[in-house]
Amino acid sequence: MIPNPLRDPRDRRLPRVPEPCALVVFGITGDLARKKLLPAVYDLANRGLLPTNFALLGFARRDWEDQDFAELSREAARQHARTPWREEVWERLAGNVHFVQGSFDDDDAFDQLAATLQDLEGSHGIGGNAAFYLSIPPAMFPTVLKQMERTGMADSTPDRWRRVVVEKPFGEDLPSSRELNELVDSVFSAQDVFRIDHYLGKETVQNLLALRFANSLFEPIWNAQNVDSVQITMAEDVGIGGRAQFYEKTGAARDVLQNHLLQLLALTAMEEPVEFSAEEIRTEKLKVLRAVSLPDDLETFAIRGQYEQGWLAGQRANGYQQEEGVDPESTTETFAAVRLGVETRRWAGVPFYLRTGKRLPRRVTEIALVFKRAPHLPFADTDTEELGNNQLVVRVQPDEGVTLKFGSKVPGSVMEVRDVSMDFLYGEQFTEASPEAYERLLLDVLLGDATLFPRNAEVEASWAVIDPLEEFWAGTTPHPYRAGEWGPRAADEMLAAENRRWRRP
Amino acid sequence: MTTLWDTTGSAVVKELAAQRRTGGAVLSGVALTLVVVADESRVAEAEEAATHAAESHPCRILVVVRRQLEAPAPRLDAEVLIGGRLGPGEAVVMRMYGRLGLHAESVVLPLLAADAPVVAWWHAAPPEKLATDALAVFAHRRITDSSIAEDPLAALRTRAADYAPGDTDLAWTRSTAWRSTLASTLDSVSGRRGEPVAVQGARVEGDAANPTAQLLAGWISSRCGCPVSVEDGGRKPNSSGVDSVALQLDQDEEVRIQADRRGGAVISQPNRPDATVALVDRPLGDLLSEELRRLDRDEPYSEALEAATGVSGLAGRSPEREHVWFDPADNGSSSRKRAAAKTADA
Repeated sequence: MIPNPLRDPRDRRLPRVPEPCALVVFGITGDLARKKLLPAVYDLANRGLLPTNFALLGFARRDWEDQDFAELSREAARQHARTPWREEVWERLAGNVHFVQGSFDDDDAFDQLAATLQDLEGSHGIGGNAAFYLSIPPAMFPTVLKQMERTGMADSTPDRWRRVVVEKPFGEDLPSSRELNELVDSVFSAQDVFRIDHYLGKETVQNLLALRFANSLFEPIWNAQNVDSVQITMAEDVGIGGRAQFYEKTGAARDVLQNHLLQLLALTAMEEPVEFSAEEIRTEKLKVLRAVSLPDDLETFAIRGQYEQGWLAGQRANGYQQEEGVDPESTTETFAAVRLGVETRRWAGVPFYLRTGKRLPRRVTEIALVFKRAPHLPFADTDTEELGNNQLVVRVQPDEGVTLKFGSKVPGSVMEVRDVSMDFLYGEQFTEASPEAYERLLLDVLLGDATLFPRNAEVEASWAVIDPLEEFWAGTTPHPYRAGEWGPRAADEMLAAENRRWRRP
Repeated sequence: MTTLWDTTGSAVVKELAAQRRTGGAVLSGVALTLVVVADESRVAEAEEAATHAAESHPCRILVVVRRQLEAPAPRLDAEVLIGGRLGPGEAVVMRMYGRLGLHAESVVLPLLAADAPVVAWWHAAPPEKLATDALAVFAHRRITDSSIAEDPLAALRTRAADYAPGDTDLAWTRSTAWRSTLASTLDSVSGRRGEPVAVQGARVEGDAANPTAQLLAGWISSRCGCPVSVEDGGRKPNSSGVDSVALQLDQDEEVRIQADRRGGAVISQPNRPDATVALVDRPLGDLLSEELRRLDRDEPYSEALEAATGVSGLAGRSPEREHVWFDPADNGSSSRKRAAAKTADA
């Protein structure tokens, strides 16, 4: 960034505002664009975080005029925006909203897109900077990327930057993800590719780094000498919604385990980065992902499940195979639990239990460090019967915060020790105050800050963990569990085999 | 909510503890204690703002209302609220009558959250010397609002004369949106040129009697080393007091930001079309929330204040204040209101 006399590093009231730029969204009519992207753009504008010269360009097949698109964007932003609606903010934004109609294999449409972008450089003063958001199925990536290459839209030069934002899934196994990465990297240079994992945009996930590396209290016990095991859970109470077609091919392991859970594992297990910068943090995460090991006994320690009909939150829920658009014989998993190891000096011998599932009793994501029991207890056995392991739980969502669980004396004349929990609810607990993950990530893309985006090597290292599991599961039938249960019994047995049990989040 | 009439500080502490025990799900994380000193006429406004700020900064809110200093018998009335009108956290609204108002700290000190920073905010005319209010002495950060004084510019000069690191003023907070827009406009110019920009002069148009306009001018002057004056414009600007800002740059260029009176501003710069950005008049709660984000000293403010008032050496002052006993009754002025009005005149 060029020095600016009005900018002062001590002046932390001034927000980081991106340079003048355009945001081009492919697949602007899709669900994600309407529910997340457009509202995030409005929220950023409302908070004054968009550059003075900014343009939003939508590309889709529909035959629309700029006004139609502006109307749809307005409705979407209004319905899903986090910050209060201010018509005047939108009006100003709407003047910078444009629409280009065309299909992805249509050369003319892309020529027109390139021309529109060129026009905006002058008319909106965006200075040639643009971020392309691929909110489209991965199958269409090659077509779109080739078009961008052909029209020269993807080239960053010293005068301007061009960035691309890719959503998960980043491929469906190691070879396909490599292919995708090569393709994206051949069109854009590696530092201009932003892979969105919206979990990393969450406040608590970033707080995990602060918790670990800003305090002196936790890091000394953050290792195999003190930690007995780590449990990372991401549970959803919803089913697959209308995404049967996508989900049938994907399943819980590819949908969640490969990206969100392994990223949370990496942040939990990583060493201290040399400095708090994108490059250093990604380097440390990559080291962890490369050190992840799979259990030898996959039969016991890699469990997948599929929900059956059941009751959830007082309502009857269909089984997965009965969901619309799902093969009645489907063997796609909706639940996955696996025991991983991290082969480093810090973590040798500590199991990392990861689980994710749909139609579980409640929506919750948390990271729990379960500590070893005290080596010696000077109390009578009966006094400490109810004492469990100390735990440190980072609640990612909902109720973002930290819980510490430890033993305390039960008030009374006898010595009895039982577990109590101490809660820290972060100020950002009030959802309206905490920026949506997309808002934060979109801003980071426009600023060029890649700290919260996984690098392609991380994606590939993650697939290297998932591929053997998928291979093992191929041709098997998932364990059934009732909707509204915490997964199949086999998942409980997996921990019981090592005398542990899942924490109920 | 419990209201304690004619009570004591210890009873308030007990009641707060009792409500914490019986309140069920209480907010357990407290980042700071916010002490609000308000006039009776502004209590509702202050409560609303504090509640809003507490949403993003979990805090214990202690509202101190001093009334009828001349009342013969000191008296304390207190409302203890947890999860009520003042948001999900803990809050105590205290009305102090008579001479108790001069010893408000005796009630407030035991109510502070343990070892958490204390922020004091005067939503009233603040004392001429903050150190005469014991609440300012133990606060880590002190927020005043020059704009509510009868003579805001005199109030700003008073703040400069009395400044200690850790002080801040909401008149300064109101300038953030303008400052941010100016800084990003210069980014845009230097981005186009590919080289740094130098500011050679500036003109702020608006309400010259508005402390925010003065601080904005002071800030530009302190950053760019050129004198900047506030000229009275023809139109009545919003609460920031600024209608437009023009910066003269090197290479004979000029950028200009003009408020459009609809919550936005138009940016004009060379070789670029005019652009409109949001520049809204923020509610008090937002301003307070911005102040609570950071609790360390605010150097850019002290530099802007120096430039705006001509008082120098602010940054070098000690952040510690020592309590100065001050009794308005000694000055022959029996009401606190008149003492406050004097502040503004000074």
